[in-house]
Amino acid sequence: MEQYLEFTGIGKAYPGVQALRDISFRCDGGEVLALLGENGAGKSTLLKILSGDTRPDEGGIIIDGRPQQFSAPYDAIKAGVSVIYQERQLVPAMSVMENIFLGEQPKTSLGTIDKKALRQSTQDIIDKFGLPIRPDELAGRLSVAYQQMVEIMKAYRRNSKIIAFDEPTAPLADAEIAILFDLIRRLKEEGRIVLYVSHRLSEIFRITDKIAVLKDGRFVKYLTTSRTNEQELIQAMVGRDIGDTYANLRRNDKLGDVLLEVCNLETEYLRDVSFTLRRGEVLGLAGLVGAGRTEVARAIFGADAILGGEIRFEGEAIDFSEPKDAIEAGIALCPEDRKDQGLVLWRSIRENITMPVLGRIRKGLFLDRAAEEHLAEEAIAKYAIRTPSINKIVRELSGGNQQKVILGRWTNSKMTTKLLILDEPTKGIDVGTKAEVYQMICDFAGEGFGVIFISSELTEVINVSDRIIVMRNGRVTGDVTRREATEESVLALAMTD
Amino acid sequence: MGNDRSLRRVIKSKNTVLIAILAAVVLMFYLLNSNYLSGDNLRGVMQSMSITGIMAVGAACLLIGGGIDLATSMEALFGGVLCGLLIKAGIPWPLSVLLTLAAGGLIGGAVAYLVAHLGMMPFIASIALSNVIRGVNLVMTNAQNVPVPTEGFWVLGSSNVLNIIPTPFVIMLILLVIYGLVLHKTQFGRNIYLIGGNQFAARLSGLSPKKIRTILYVNNGVLAAFSGIVVASRMHSASPSSLSDSQMDAITAAILGGVSFMGGSGGMGGCLIGILLLNFFNNGLNVLSLESHWQTIAQGALLIAALTMDYFNEKSREKSLKAGAALKQ
Repeated sequence: MEQYLEFTGIGKAYPGVQALRDISFRCDGGEVLALLGENGAGKSTLLKILSGDTRPDEGGIIIDGRPQQFSAPYDAIKAGVSVIYQERQLVPAMSVMENIFLGEQPKTSLGTIDKKALRQSTQDIIDKFGLPIRPDELAGRLSVAYQQMVEIMKAYRRNSKIIAFDEPTAPLADAEIAILFDLIRRLKEEGRIVLYVSHRLSEIFRITDKIAVLKDGRFVKYLTTSRTNEQELIQAMVGRDIGDTYANLRRNDKLGDVLLEVCNLETEYLRDVSFTLRRGEVLGLAGLVGAGRTEVARAIFGADAILGGEIRFEGEAIDFSEPKDAIEAGIALCPEDRKDQGLVLWRSIRENITMPVLGRIRKGLFLDRAAEEHLAEEAIAKYAIRTPSINKIVRELSGGNQQKVILGRWTNSKMTTKLLILDEPTKGIDVGTKAEVYQMICDFAGEGFGVIFISSELTEVINVSDRIIVMRNGRVTGDVTRREATEESVLALAMTD
Repeated sequence: MGNDRSLRRVIKSKNTVLIAILAAVVLMFYLLNSNYLSGDNLRGVMQSMSITGIMAVGAACLLIGGGIDLATSMEALFGGVLCGLLIKAGIPWPLSVLLTLAAGGLIGGAVAYLVAHLGMMPFIASIALSNVIRGVNLVMTNAQNVPVPTEGFWVLGSSNVLNIIPTPFVIMLILLVIYGLVLHKTQFGRNIYLIGGNQFAARLSGLSPKKIRTILYVNNGVLAAFSGIVVASRMHSASPSSLSDSQMDAITAAILGGVSFMGGSGGMGGCLIGILLLNFFNNGLNVLSLESHWQTIAQGALLIAALTMDYFNEKSREKSLKAGAALKQ
């Protein structure tokens, strides 16, 4: 029988937004279909409906001609749907094999879990995919990439005929992405239906066959990957031509004196790291996940202890014990994990922007509310944060606007920031807003900040930064200018021994 | 600023529901027994609510900052007993009160040390400490009440302001106003909301969650000890075991009043409504002279009823927002 998945007239409203409206399209077995759209286009909501996590207000899902009614994730799994989310859903304290067979472990005649059979079946699946994972390993000990592989194997074990990926490559480095894509191709060859959600256009051209474009909760376009191009996709997504983003960046070419010097730095994670950063310069940190880029930021910010070498900031050796001291010295960090480390989600834009400067906007005992509102409005205007009010709860903003709130926090006029460290600032942000963030990075340099720009996306880190430090295994393996850098050369520095 | 207004409306509506419940409770008991709203009874309610109320102020601040202390009522008993013993030992009562407040702060500091510095779960750490304090109270007093015959000391708990309103009630109101101002108008108050909302983000923005939380635990200990002192002053004697039935009252009042169990939200206005609701309800059961076991059941049911109302209120709000969004399209 023909295998296919069809969405028919799906509509869904949340408080304050119509998330989806009359979404209809179809995906066939043996095909990888990309679900493409800016943040807030409705991709995640659609996946939630597919996984039985949420029920649609209107319309429904048809699998192989049979209409489905999912009232809980369990129903979707039974119908053969596995959704692999950005957040891992493994039990970290259980072994790989227990995770893969969760809830359906093979039993012995006594009713206990048959460990031998469990191990063997798991090994069979691992061999099939050719992965270097042991069945007895604890899931929590695996790298993010391998945890994702375990989830794919779990979906494979369940014999899911529909496997949906929600931005699977966001936490992965390029080498790991290659492994993931091999797995996806294998699933496709077996005739399964693969749904693939990603912001990265290059990946969509590498791995998908068809593309469904969503915009503002509506279905806009259905395309065949081999017969389209980036320009057309971006236009369909944003409804405008953003052109060649990088070539159009207004960059800063006036470098100041040396702001930061890192000399032979050693920490628990870093070995002999040295580089310098001037005022007005954008320094990119490239490398695979786990290469030590975030750890450099942590050492500068005072979060990890310095074991050897030194960091000099404005000519003076620094070794902060608390983020507070680093902030006072003029160093700001936009952490990788916006929601867990960057924002207080349930508080307002205003409160999130003024967090580090409350001590400077006091009037006697009390906070100066007018000054506070002024700072918030200033940031909203400067970064074009889309919101009806400075008192909107940050949780209700899109990812791009949340990122802008954090930038607004560190660059408001009461701050004395000199060095801005941006750790994966474009993660989970749609293409249009990404271009805005790149321009902001260049503008920061223009205002005289030193900027450290950490990113796992080679293209952006190479094209936005003035200079690129490449890292591998806690060491610096390359220090190249934007003119010298190519994706191939930087990737080689990041990967080869 | 349409959103601003709707936000205010939501907060308002939450309190409105609670006030409606409060009014319904008061009306119901009044209809069942007309003595319920007599001056004498009202003064009685004010007296007893100020005890939980003073504790609830500290508990609410702590909850907003993402902490919790289940030893609060034991800390209160400790405060009463210690103050009684100090006065009995001949120390002037104002000095005894100050020393007791300091001791309460130390106990709060001990909880903070276990939780904020050693990283223990607040539930477990404070329950364990609660047992220790209960034992200490019994040892200090040999399980006997400590009479406090010093008349000067009675002023805190037994006197009336303007000859009508019980002093402890006035003290509670003053505390609510002061802490309300601290929470909403000062940098420290804002910091409490921020660390309760996300301590990691707060730390990376230069706040010191450990320090702030330590202060909140110490503050909670001081206020608990103070409420124990007020009890001793009102009864003219300190009991090492009286409050143990109302173990959770302070926290219950705060949560009834809309302080989030998860930290980061709530305020003193809601807290006051929670205190009023809990105490008018408990008193109503007393006035009906219901058997005490039934009272316990009714009190639990009240909390569940309030939480349910809140749940439905939230639901209907979501629905109306949804309808609004659909219309806009």
